Order: sequence, then structure tokens, then C-alpha cells
Amino acid sequence: MFRQMGGPDGPPKQAQDERNLVERARGRDREAFGSLVRCYQGRAFNLAYQMLRNREEALDVAQEAFARAYASLPTFKGESSFSTWLHRIVVNLGIDALRRMRRGGIATYDDTRATPEEGEQELQAADDPAATLEMKQVRELLVRGMAKLPAAQRTVLVLREVEGLSYEEIARLVGCNLGTVMSRLFYARRRLRQVLEAHLADLR
Amino acid sequence: MLIFGDWMGITHRLHMALGRARRLAPYAAGELSLIERARVEADLERCPACRREVEAYRLISQALQTSPPIAMTPGEASAFWPSVQRRIRRGAVSLSRSSHPGFRELVWDHPRLSFLSVAAALLLIIGVTLGQSIWWTAATPNGVEVVSLEAGDDASVMLFQTPGGSLKVIWVFERPSSHPGS
Repeated sequence: MFRQMGGPDGPPKQAQDERNLVERARGRDREAFGSLVRCYQGRAFNLAYQMLRNREEALDVAQEAFARAYASLPTFKGESSFSTWLHRIVVNLGIDALRRMRRGGIATYDDTRATPEEGEQELQAADDPAATLEMKQVRELLVRGMAKLPAAQRTVLVLREVEGLSYEEIARLVGCNLGTVMSRLFYARRRLRQVLEAHLADLR
Repeated sequence: MLIFGDWMGITHRLHMALGRARRLAPYAAGELSLIERARVEADLERCPACRREVEAYRLISQALQTSPPIAMTPGEASAFWPSVQRRIRRGAVSLSRSSHPGFRELVWDHPRLSFLSVAAALLLIIGVTLGQSIWWTAATPNGVEVVSLEAGDDASVMLFQTPGGSLKVIWVFERPSSHPGS
């Protein structure tokens, strides 16, 4: 369910490996749980970061998600995969963190990734540097626009557009019905379009 | 030209009003059924503003879907598991937050809905208060007028009436006998 992105170890090669690790971790085998953490930490962090756009908070949420997963492992029935189950914990903690950050006035947008070196490398690697630069500018605008979206809308947008989940999967993860997912997506996309409009008008 | 421009704007507003704009983003994201797609495409032929919207939605999807994943730095990655272990050892969860949104979260996420709820509650309270006061005003008589009061040895008689004189009441107060046996 997680968007493909490797952690230090990457996901277990076979589902059977994951099941074995989960079973051992349920028996309080820390070593086995450590292997699961190393497999999925990169993805958990990426999802949290896409939601929060704040590195420290994303790390906090991802680590907390694993700690909670460990505490709840005895109740994990294995109806979904471990990664799906972990995904749900990250999303719930991410939503809570977003709300807490906004109440506390913590920025949900940081540009630590957009270092000049990284931008330069991306442009050099691109076939069409002008288009790449244009897309980069659009992404920056979108990230700023997303920072202003309500937590529920932003979460649904990230799960749909960044994580590539279906409406049904999002509804199950977030705990709402399909209509609510569609409605939140509509408002989030419309808001982002409004953010982009001025930029697009300049290009025309 | 100006008239043509206005006409385009009117067409677009009409589409918005008809709720068709709600289908543009799902259309751009390829989330519609074949029939719905055909309907939207028919609309797009007549509405240049809608076409621009679809372009914008496509750009949004493309930009978000192709955004590179964010990786942890090597330092963050190597410190990750030890940090999780510390949290597990602590046992307690540092982020004391429930997964279900509370009242404050609902207010924060849905300010318009919250405002409408408060306004509706205020209207209800004002309506009930006004209704009650009108009912009490209508139901309460405007006082009574005592016409006569006569006191005798065995009883007292009071005659009173409503201000218009439409209702007259005679009230007899009997004095209890001091010797019940006699």
C-alpha cells in the first residue's frame, strides 16, 4: 500500500518473510521488530513528511507510529498487511500532528529539501530543463497552497495524488465514507487550482 | 470582442452553477466512468474556461504525482530505530493525542460549519424565547377588579370581574364553626 520507496533494508522480499517477522515481533522479539522498522521507516517518514512538510515533526510522527505499532501488535489480527496497518497509524498521527501544529503556530512548510545543489542536480539530469524548472516552481506553489488546506483535505489529497490510493482505500484509512473523500478531494484540488491560477495566467 | 469575452464568462458561471465543475478535477485525474467522461467532454467543447480548469487540474496531479519521495538523511536513518526503541522503553506515548477528532479539531477543520451551527443555535434560542414571551403575554389576564366585598358573621362574600366586565366571579369565604358538635 505504501508508495514504493526503499528504507535502508527495503521491504521484505516475500510476504512470507514479513509475516514471519510480524509473528516474531508479536512475541516481543525486538530484533524482528527492528527489522520491520528498518524495512518501512523510509516510507513511513515519506508519508508523514508529505502530510506535514516539516522534517522534525515527520520524524516524530514516523517514530511514534512504530512505537504504537509495537504496543498494539498483540491486537493486530493480520487482516491487512503490516504496511497497510502501519500506514493507518501514520495517517492518524499525521492528522493529529497537523492540527496540533496549526494550533501551536508551527509552520507546516519548510524548504529544507530545496537546496540549491539539489535543484541544480535535478535540472542537469532533466531532458528539458525549462519544463523541469517550470514543474519545480509549480510544486513549490502547490506545497505552499497545501499548507493552507484543512488537515482532513490535505490528508486525502496526499493519499490520492502522492500515495496513489483508491477512493475506497482512502475511505478505509481515514474512516469516512466515499462521498466525504470525494468532497474533500474536490475542495482541496479547487483550492490548489486557485493558488495556481495567477501563475498560469502569467504563463499564457 | 468584449461581448464574446463576457459570453465566455457567463457560460463558465453557468457550468459552475450547474455543478458540472465538480466533475472537472475527477475528469482531469481520470477518475470518471466512460459515460461521465463523455458528458464532460461534450461540456468542454463549449466551455473554454472549463478547458483551462482541466489543464490546471492536470498540472496539479502531474506535479504532485511526480514529486520525488523525501528521503531521510543517513544520520536520521541510523538514529531512527534507537529512537523508536527509546519510545518503546518509555512505554508512554509522547504524543498524547487521540485518533478521533475532538470538538476543537472539528471547529478548527470546519469553521464555516461551526459558525452556521452556532448561528442556528442562537436563532433557535431567540425563537423559543420570543415565542414563550408572546404566549405568556396572550395567556396572562390583565388583572381583575374587585367590585364589592362584604363581611358577615358566618362568611365573607367577594365579587370581582375582569376589566371588560365579561366575566364576574362571586367568591364566598365561609368561616369555620367554632363548635363542631353544636
